[in-house]
Amino acid sequence: MAKRGNPAISRAHALPSYSRKNSSRVQTIGIRLLFFTFLFILWQTLFALKIWNEMLFPGPLEVITTAVAVLQDGSMATAVLASLKRLITGYGISVAVGIPLGLIMGRNRLIDETFGTLALGLQALPSICWLPLAILWFGLNEIAICFVVIMGSVMAISLAVRDGVRGLSPLLLRAARVLGADGASFYIHVLFPAALPSVVTGARLGWSFAWRSLMAAELLYGTVGLGSTLSMGRELHDMGLVVATMLIIIAIGLIADRLLFGGMDTLIRARWGTER
Amino acid sequence: MAELKLTAVSKSFNTQAGVITALSCVDLTIKEGEFLCVVGPSGCGKSTLLNLIAGLEFPDQGRLLLDDSEITGPAADRVLIFQEPALFPWLSVIDNVAFGLKMQGGAKQHRTARAMELLDLVHLSAFRSSWIHQLSGGMRQRVALARALALEPAVLLMDEPFAALDAQTRDMLHEELEMLWQKTGKTIVFITHNVREAVRLGTRVLLMSADSGKFVKEYPINLPRNRHLEDVELVKIASVIRDDLKEVVATASGRKGCPNG
Repeated sequence: MAKRGNPAISRAHALPSYSRKNSSRVQTIGIRLLFFTFLFILWQTLFALKIWNEMLFPGPLEVITTAVAVLQDGSMATAVLASLKRLITGYGISVAVGIPLGLIMGRNRLIDETFGTLALGLQALPSICWLPLAILWFGLNEIAICFVVIMGSVMAISLAVRDGVRGLSPLLLRAARVLGADGASFYIHVLFPAALPSVVTGARLGWSFAWRSLMAAELLYGTVGLGSTLSMGRELHDMGLVVATMLIIIAIGLIADRLLFGGMDTLIRARWGTER
Repeated sequence: MAELKLTAVSKSFNTQAGVITALSCVDLTIKEGEFLCVVGPSGCGKSTLLNLIAGLEFPDQGRLLLDDSEITGPAADRVLIFQEPALFPWLSVIDNVAFGLKMQGGAKQHRTARAMELLDLVHLSAFRSSWIHQLSGGMRQRVALARALALEPAVLLMDEPFAALDAQTRDMLHEELEMLWQKTGKTIVFITHNVREAVRLGTRVLLMSADSGKFVKEYPINLPRNRHLEDVELVKIASVIRDDLKEVVATASGRKGCPNG
């Protein structure tokens, strides 16, 4: 019997061999490396030509020197930690509210037609527009910033999860009911894991929305943080600091995306199969 | 004991094409250990019968009893298997099989042991840690069977479970299902549009009309086990039923032409 089953398994192995995969990977990395080296040289050349004022267009070396300096004196670390703390608080709340809300919206018509429509409408409002109200409501403090972050990401998360639940095969859900899943255990053991691919998509989208909202809020409201480091750089005419901060913001965004969601992607691909 | 009794059961649906009668005043008793096969044209209400017994839908009129207690919803004593295996892609094969037991709140150790037994029964123990997408269609349907059997249902409800499989795999699964049924003595209600399959498996075959929601004919099948699809007697009975089925379809399409339809 096991023999008869084997073709299915060996088909899965009949993918391109690892060595071929690896060599094409090396090639891709090589092309990227070349491209970015080219950009770097172009930047340095433009700077060396002195077309623009040095105050407006910093050279790569100046940016690197500033970056090293602020990383060493700890001022960047303080800013990064302050921003990450707000991000994690706001985003954490968004996930904790957005996922269950999305699951319920996907199942319950009434909730979807009320909260779902509201979420869709609010989605059209850039979250930074909440800042004036938030400052009036909560004062000029951390809660106001967290609120903006939450409003920036919770809708995206819940709507993505809702769409995921809606797209589930009705047969799968009936099978679960036949096997005795109901009430809370239906949500925990069936709906949530079944919608996991969409949950991850939503969480990922929410993460990048939260990051953007936070930077916007910090730029407008000066306190310790990456956004305010940018404002400070502008006020001090320290373009090296501005560009260095921008690069650090990019780096954090990329690293966090990899760390948080890379593993989830692998898990989903392994379980659902590559064809999805 | 596991005797199913349907008395005067009616069920109809409102669709865009008008009211469709799936079941109309159906009386039916399914004895313990019986392997009942229901054949009929597609869309005649065969699946509705199973959904009602499974407790996923409720009758407009009439009563459904399992051992004298009313069916009020899905329960572990009646498990439904679909044409698509409907397995859970986020769980491994063994966790799929153990899912029902987990919902019942059984101890982890017991669940795993029981799931292993059932995987042995369907000859898939080597694939216990595989993901669903790694299995072939026939293997998936066997996992679905094991997952249903894990709950030790009194009644196994099967809705065209082998319709999407190739002939060779289907043959093999017929054999396995027959063996399982002989071993466990479960009551099985099996829906199919394949007449030969019905005769191959059933102790009784019921023929359903195309659009009146009634059973029109009943055929006891007393052929010896184990049967084969090519058995001469089997083919003979199947051809009789197939002729009746053709007639059922013909009268239905004739009726559709009638303005009072």
